[in-house]
Amino acid sequence: MKESRLMLIQYATAVLAVALVSIHLIMQGVIYPYATAISFSNILSIYQNGFYAVFLEALLVIVLVHGFNGVRIILHEWRQTAPWSRWVDVGTVLAIVVSVGYGTRTVILALFGGVTA
Amino acid sequence: MADNTPKGAERAKNKRGIWGWINPYHYNLERWAYAFQRITGVAVLAYVLGHLGDTSFFVGGPTGSGPSPSSWDFIGTIFENSFGHLILVLVVLVLVFHGVNGIRLILAEFGFILKKPSKIEYPYKAKGLGSGQKYLIWIGIAAGVAAAVWAFLVLFEGMG
Repeated sequence: MKESRLMLIQYATAVLAVALVSIHLIMQGVIYPYATAISFSNILSIYQNGFYAVFLEALLVIVLVHGFNGVRIILHEWRQTAPWSRWVDVGTVLAIVVSVGYGTRTVILALFGGVTA
Repeated sequence: MADNTPKGAERAKNKRGIWGWINPYHYNLERWAYAFQRITGVAVLAYVLGHLGDTSFFVGGPTGSGPSPSSWDFIGTIFENSFGHLILVLVVLVLVFHGVNGIRLILAEFGFILKKPSKIEYPYKAKGLGSGQKYLIWIGIAAGVAAAVWAFLVLFEGMG
């Protein structure tokens, strides 16, 4: 993908992240008191509400794409050899896939998994 | 055609790499904001990855199979204390600064807060930057501090 397009993705995810992270922070300390917000029953009800599960998944993807693409940009500015650039790009994609996968696993298990001990 | 590419020591002097952008000493406020944007960005990403790990304990951790109150209580005993809350306050501080300063950078990138280019004159201040960007940087710092105070009140309420 062209660098100009990746930069536009960086800006678009930045704007979306500002909106989604703001909502996430407000839910942790304004809508509910903090102790309630992090209680097991409250988090379970949030995950098992389809709307919020989609919200959390979108937050996960947008923040991780923005974060790892940001690190990729820094690493590209640091060194510019062809092998370095290739490894940085491949590493970025891998890091996004692995971390989004792990976070998605949490959302899916919270949404569909049965409550254990 | 003459090759004006710097060589040897001159090239090494000009190529300061990652230490060049980490060290904004002797530069203007916007340059400091640039360095902090990157440092806070990396810090926030490190926190997000840790947060992915701790929230996974809601479903029993890496080997879990579904929502687990005991696993969630276990991770709570590690992070829900004064030190953990202090880290969260710092995260909110740098996160809000990163967000507001990031919006400034996007506005600058698309030319909304840049002044018209003009002739370079002594004392060689960057005329294109204007005062709007400085205000936005200070707004970012103020918003970060305000959010950190709010987070402190939310997190430490009732802890004593």
